[in-house]
Amino acid sequence: MTDPELTYEDATARLEAIIKRLDSGEAGLRETLELCKEGRGLVELCATELEAVGQGLQELRLDELVTRLQEGAG
Amino acid sequence: MRETARMAQPATAPAGIDGSLLPGPFAVGVYTARMREYLRGRAKVQLFGEVWNLRVTRVKVYFELRDAGGALPCSMWRDDYDALSLGESALADGSQVVVGGGLDYYAGSRTSSPAFSFAISALRVAGEGDLLAQLDRLRKALDAEGLFARQKLLARPALPRTIGVVTGEGGKARDDVLAGLARRGWAGRIVWAFAPVQDRYAAPRITRAVQDLAATGAVDVIVVARGGGSLADLFCFCDETLCRTIALLGVPVIASVGHHTDRTLIDDVAALSCSTPTHAAESAVPVHCTQARAEAVEFARRLSVHGSRALLHRAQVLVRLSRAPGEHLAHERTRLHQGLREMRASGRRRLSDERARVARRALVLERKAHAAALYARRATGLQAIAMALAAHDPDRTVERGYALVTDRGGDVVTSAADARAAGEVSLRFGDGVVDATITHEP
Repeated sequence: MTDPELTYEDATARLEAIIKRLDSGEAGLRETLELCKEGRGLVELCATELEAVGQGLQELRLDELVTRLQEGAG
Repeated sequence: MRETARMAQPATAPAGIDGSLLPGPFAVGVYTARMREYLRGRAKVQLFGEVWNLRVTRVKVYFELRDAGGALPCSMWRDDYDALSLGESALADGSQVVVGGGLDYYAGSRTSSPAFSFAISALRVAGEGDLLAQLDRLRKALDAEGLFARQKLLARPALPRTIGVVTGEGGKARDDVLAGLARRGWAGRIVWAFAPVQDRYAAPRITRAVQDLAATGAVDVIVVARGGGSLADLFCFCDETLCRTIALLGVPVIASVGHHTDRTLIDDVAALSCSTPTHAAESAVPVHCTQARAEAVEFARRLSVHGSRALLHRAQVLVRLSRAPGEHLAHERTRLHQGLREMRASGRRRLSDERARVARRALVLERKAHAAALYARRATGLQAIAMALAAHDPDRTVERGYALVTDRGGDVVTSAADARAAGEVSLRFGDGVVDATITHEP
């Protein structure tokens, strides 16, 4: 449903547009259901992004990051 | 020296170090006084270099004289400095100067720190070629090459997952960066690339750190942070190689070096320049994560409300639609029944009307027939009368040989007296009329 390349800011901007459209009451039934479906996908994307920076601060030194990347765990 | 030391040596000098062959122990004040005399006894010379960390106090003027090979703390009496009448900005960090003077040492005391310096008795500003002028030329050259704009064209993510930070390992800037990120509610991954941030080896190390962070491909944004300091301390951030490297980097760099008053070249080439490391960290994460989480929940709630409403509305519409055919059928049935009733009523009315019309016509016909019969009877009667009349017709009598006498006026003359009276008569026979004249009897 959502573009995997979509950034957080793209997703939130699209979500705001969707909510605005739904609030306007101008969307038909089919469009409303499609917008809700798209919006749920975007919320999920945003939640995933926020979760990724909410798990707790992880501090690495540059050489540790390089090692992790070399081990394929980065 | 031995005499002076002996004179000043306190009576309660402690015992020396066991086994040491060095003379003493001497009181430190005695030693430093002798050292000052020794240094003051060195040759007076002229030196040249760049002025850094210039401080003008009420009594003295201090700065460091620097070049690529070394640095020397210098001091000058304020009166001597003012006597030069250099003007407000003639002497500044980076100025090239020639100074004359000699070594000196302030011995300090129990309550004040010692200080070594080159005591200046004469000074001349060399003018041309000072570092600030070089810096200005380099700034213009980089700007002309468009290198100040490149970083600013890079898209900075609103919510980076990994932030690279180049800073001094033990500096306060590190804590400030963490504080800024905490204020954003951000708790992702930080990659620290520690590097010296103020000596002559700093610029290459910082350049390498920035390059390595970008090369990992795992860093969304890089913060280069250092706390405040003099322009001399920050000069490594004006390094041409460092600035060109950052300008051409594919990862956005946010610089926080010194303060607004000390604008270094990295401030110009970076995607964003901030006044403090805290501000730089906040700028690296434009999204306030705590608020954003609340907003995401609100988005989800509103979508759910809209979705439910839409479904409810659809259900209501479906219910209406499902009822509609039955209602339509019943309505049609009623309408048909009504029509049928009207048709029957109308049929009855038409039959009755037709019946009345037929009756009226029958009556008319009957009357007509009656009239015709009456006419026929009358015709027959008339014919009989006509025949009777014909039987009495004078013309018929005339045809049988009689004659009809009339006077000249056409009136019938029916007696001899009338004939005599008329004198002139007409005699109408069956084949014609002849006039006759009555003559009087003889």
